[in-house]
Parts: sequence; structure tokens; C-alpha cells
Amino acid sequence: MRRPILVDSAPRALLLLSLFCFAAPSFAKDAADATAPAIAAKLMLRGQPNGLKVSEMRLTRKNDVLVVQADLQNVTKKDVVAYHRFRWLDASGNQVGDGESWKQTAVYGEQMLTIKGVAPTSGVVDLRLEMNVDKK
Amino acid sequence: MNVFRTATLGLVLGSMLSLIACETQVSSPVIRLQRQVNYGDAKGVELVTNEFGSNDLQQIAEKMVGSLLETGIFQGRPTVTISTVKNKTSEYIDTTNVMNSIQTQLVKSGKVRFTRSIQEMQAGTDELQRQSQSGLYKQATQAKVGQMTAAKFSLEGELTSIVKQNSGTKDVFYKFTLKMFDVQEGTIEWQEEKEIRKTSKR
Repeated sequence: MRRPILVDSAPRALLLLSLFCFAAPSFAKDAADATAPAIAAKLMLRGQPNGLKVSEMRLTRKNDVLVVQADLQNVTKKDVVAYHRFRWLDASGNQVGDGESWKQTAVYGEQMLTIKGVAPTSGVVDLRLEMNVDKK
Repeated sequence: MNVFRTATLGLVLGSMLSLIACETQVSSPVIRLQRQVNYGDAKGVELVTNEFGSNDLQQIAEKMVGSLLETGIFQGRPTVTISTVKNKTSEYIDTTNVMNSIQTQLVKSGKVRFTRSIQEMQAGTDELQRQSQSGLYKQATQAKVGQMTAAKFSLEGELTSIVKQNSGTKDVFYKFTLKMFDVQEGTIEWQEEKEIRKTSKR
């Protein structure tokens, strides 16, 4: 005698529901992590963002040198440690100078932090933000 | 005959294969004893101890240079000299190194000209006297005395620290302050600070 379909599919539905519940927060986090394409083009991220997102990047030319400010937003409740540096590029796309030193910055849960960089010469026209994020 | 040829070919192939299998990896051109030594990233974040380190020096220099370039105070490529840099911390820190990094980056920016500092002056006057007074050089190529350009601005800095510790934690707070004075007028034309906090657990 065949068992009712409902009885057969109930464990599967429960399994699917539990899987969804397990994965849903990570879907939400990934969506929040998504960086705007214009910023993503300037971002050189190594590894996973671990909940840290570059929400805005502002470029201005002050007294003939390029000045950048980038907002780092921790979209999770957990503290993370970001390592970053700016790479300055000239009109040909070549790197200017030896490269900046790496900076270690703690970003608390749900904090937004602004990092700043000033180009070393007036020949700089573009930049890349090199970054990786460690979970604390 | 065919059997003999096949056997010879097999033997040759076999010995070639065994030679390939026994091949060791070529060595790199390094001189190394038993200790494991490697070159590291000179720009990396150094976290060996919480004393003043290479990364602190680099961060201070970058902040000072960035701030100076951003303000636009160097319109017209003025002349600058380095005065004193006081180390008011309890550590031994070669503050000349910090100023050298700042000077290098500013010179490379092309926005400013540096004149000899007090410490560099003796070597400059020695060379000037050698050229003008020794009688060894052609008149036309000699550097003339009294033609040096004086500095319009002078850079003065100091490094201080606040150290706090208990049984489990040590916290060090460094503050580097740099001021640029107009030599003639004695006024501060620019000033910047860089704060660094380093905490370690025992």
C-alpha cells in the first residue's frame, strides 16, 4: 500500500526549509557586500570581504595632486581587521613610486570608517585600493 | 635480431626514465646557512613587538607628505630646510630616519627644493672651500662662495609617547608632530600630527 504523498515529502520540505534558513543570512550578507561597479574597478581585493564593503570612494584634485577618500563599511556585527594601501597610477597605467606601506585598521561591527590617501606626485591620474580583510 | 633491438631500446629508455626520476631540484642562487632567512615585504605591517617600528616610520612620513602636498603651501617650489626632530619617548629612535623619508618623498614630488640642514652644512662648506681655495680647479668650473640659497621654510618635529601597562596588556600611544615655520617671519605656516596606537597582550 502506498503512503500519502504529504508524508513522503514532509521531511524533504523540512530539509529544504532548514537549508534555506541556514543559507539566508549569508545571501543577505553577500548582497550587502556587493560593491558598486565603479568602485569595484578601483578595488584590488585579496580573499573574501568578510562583511567589509567599500560603500563610497571620492576622488578630487587638490592643489594639483589627486586626493582620495574611501568609506569602509562593516555590514556585519563582528569586528574585522582591514589591511589596505593605495596604488598610484600615471596616465600610462604605470605605478608611480615604490608603493605605499600597508596599513592595519580595526573596523568595529556596523562601523563606517573613512580612509584617505594623497598621491605622491601631480603625475598621478588614477589609483587602486589594495585590500584584504581578516576576521578578528 | 628484432628481439635484441627491442631489448636494447627498452634498456636505453629505462635508463633514461630512471635518470629523469632521480633528477634533483636545482638550487637558487642564495647563500644560506642552517637558519631560515627570507626577504620580506618592506612595506608590510610589522607586529613583532609594540615598540616603534618600520611601519610606524612609513605611516608618519606618508601622512606628513600627503598633508603638505594637499595644502598647496609649496606653490612656486620654495626652499625648505630640516631643523631639529626631538625624540621625547623612552625608546631609542633615530628620528633622522623619519625626516629622511619625508624629505625623499617631497623631493620626488618635485614641489619643493631642500637646502642643506645644519648637520649637512659642514660637508657642503668643506667642498666649497676645496673648490674655491685649493687652486686645483679651473676658474670657470669653480663653485662660488656666497651663492647658496637660503631656506624660506624650516621643518621642526617631535615624537612623544604615552605608555600604559598592566599585568596582561601594554598600550603605547605615539604622537608625531611636525611644524613648518617661515624662517623670516617666525610664523607657523603648516602643522600636522600623526597618532599611532599599539597594544600588545602578554
